[in-house]
Amino acid sequence: MNSVAQTLTNSDRLASGSARGVLILLRARAFLVLFLLLALFSWMAPAFLTANNFSILAKHVAISAILAIGMTFVVLTGGIDLSVGSVAGLGGMVAGYVITQGVTFGGAQHFPSIAVAVLITFAVCLVVGAINGWLVAKVGVAPFIATLGTLYIARGAALLLSNGKTFPNLAGSATHAGTGFSVIGQSFFLHVPTPVWIMAGLFAFAAFVAAKTPFGRHVYAIGGNERAARLAGIRVPRVKIISYIFSALCAACVGLIIASQLEAAHPATGETFELNAIAAVVLGGTSLMGGRGSVLGSLIGAFVIGVLADGLVMLGVSEFWQMVIKGLVIVLAVAVDQLQSRLQAKFLPLLLRSSPQAGA
Amino acid sequence: MRGRVVAVAACVAGLMMAGCRHVDRRKLVFIIVPSQDNPFFKAEADAASTEAQRLGYATRVDAHDDDAYRQDNLIDAAIASNAAVIVLDNAGSDSSVSAVRRATQKGIPVFLIDREIETSGIAKAQIIADNDQGARLVAGEFVRTLPATGDYAELLGRESDTNAQIRTKGFHAVLDGVAGLRLVSAQSANWSQAEAFQKTETMLQAHPSIAGIIAGNDTMALGAAAAVKSAGLKNMKIVGFDGSPDAIAAIRMGELQATALQPAVYIARLAVDEADRYLKTGSTGEKERQIVPCDLVTKQNALDYGNFEKLR
Repeated sequence: MNSVAQTLTNSDRLASGSARGVLILLRARAFLVLFLLLALFSWMAPAFLTANNFSILAKHVAISAILAIGMTFVVLTGGIDLSVGSVAGLGGMVAGYVITQGVTFGGAQHFPSIAVAVLITFAVCLVVGAINGWLVAKVGVAPFIATLGTLYIARGAALLLSNGKTFPNLAGSATHAGTGFSVIGQSFFLHVPTPVWIMAGLFAFAAFVAAKTPFGRHVYAIGGNERAARLAGIRVPRVKIISYIFSALCAACVGLIIASQLEAAHPATGETFELNAIAAVVLGGTSLMGGRGSVLGSLIGAFVIGVLADGLVMLGVSEFWQMVIKGLVIVLAVAVDQLQSRLQAKFLPLLLRSSPQAGA
Repeated sequence: MRGRVVAVAACVAGLMMAGCRHVDRRKLVFIIVPSQDNPFFKAEADAASTEAQRLGYATRVDAHDDDAYRQDNLIDAAIASNAAVIVLDNAGSDSSVSAVRRATQKGIPVFLIDREIETSGIAKAQIIADNDQGARLVAGEFVRTLPATGDYAELLGRESDTNAQIRTKGFHAVLDGVAGLRLVSAQSANWSQAEAFQKTETMLQAHPSIAGIIAGNDTMALGAAAAVKSAGLKNMKIVGFDGSPDAIAAIRMGELQATALQPAVYIARLAVDEADRYLKTGSTGEKERQIVPCDLVTKQNALDYGNFEKLR
């Protein structure tokens, strides 16, 4: 390799330098878009650039970011989870049911504590995630179809729980489960809303798992080449099932946060949330084919969507234009994603030639 | 693998059989509403179904999810199942005309509730709540509770929905004439509580001067109330529209100031009664378009109202 590097001409060096610059810019595009949007809205909406507004903005972003963090693993394995919005709705309804209706066993009605209600919610959503994973990994149903099915099943189950009604007054009363449910969505810790902490915690956990653990590497390996991963001894079904379960548990968090913020659980909550989550993942540069992408990217993607939504509301832009603009940003992001892969393929020989250690 | 498939198939078959009802020889009233997860449409469907059963009919309730194509399929299902009457809360004033006409041509009288269609002379009756009058009532109460000068925000319903447009027009017929009131932000929250919560939080950031919020329905008003509470603001005046039980409870607790109650239960019962009369005598005895006024619900009279009906 060293002998090749020594034969480089000056123009080659220049070309490879600018190629690398373009690639870095393209790779950081989500960051750039986010920065541009923040600058734009700070300039146009006077109250945008305030600590208070950022705290609220982050709280709104947390909803799609948490879903996107869970979704990232599923997409990295080459799958997709369409059921997250419905699972979020189901999660809120399960918590609402347990808090307001209690649990009947032994012929008597019991009102478990809030912690138990939350655990039951996670348990129910875990089951849905496990079903998704089982269908995809063991039965061999295409992820799109399997999770489309559970999308309907979970939404139907949420409606059946209350017969279509809302569970109101989840603030609770001392005679029933006791108060405290509103802590999840409404409280603050160190002046930062609790949902933002939940998002940060899940992000730190997911980023660590993806980058630093064997499980994380297995996820990337499966998405890159499933057959090779299987032959290398990776337990593919197990990794996939865990990914879908994690996605469903993230959705459960979202359901709990929304129910807690509104102090009410509505069975239609979470409709189309899966689309926001997928958009965030794609904006963050994760490939829908699997094997390429990062949790950080998804977080930034969620911020792009959230900043766009809140900023346009602050400017008083109509709902219809908001939808058009959001769609444009998503399409643009994916187009740039394709451009990046193509440029990367084109520049790769140039880059390899100019950096001796790259080949070593 | 095969065992699993058989087990799943058995489960599905079991569910299907549980879903089928015993064959019924009574005449069928087919009730179609926009959705069953919204308390308003749920109350309307339940009231129509109960009244029809009281009068000796079999009933079937279905939802079209505001999808005109799905509504079309449901009308076909009603024709195929030889329904005696269709009670319909339609999926759009223009897009429903052909479906209503088709049912009528097949000899099934259609009674429209809650939402009108453009064309007259096809449906046997169109019974709706007076959204304009209700909106004016609520807006009047909104002005009364607000300080003489101040900023307010508006949460609109789904912008493609006729009732959302009639309500906002009614609001502004009153509000625009009041000197001192200023609309600083208007956003659609698509009738949704969670969306109203987020949009209100953002609007309050952009415009801290907001003293009141007028919402196109109660779910959005409740979402706004939750956002106001989470921002720790006191004395915010919030009004809604519909008269849902949750909103009336919030009015009793002082979190909302007022709502316009649409007498959905009354309208649904009236439609079924007229349908019954039509089947027996060949005439409803009423003109086609009937408009029922809304009631203003405030803290003073909140105890008089229940699930979309006046209790006393």
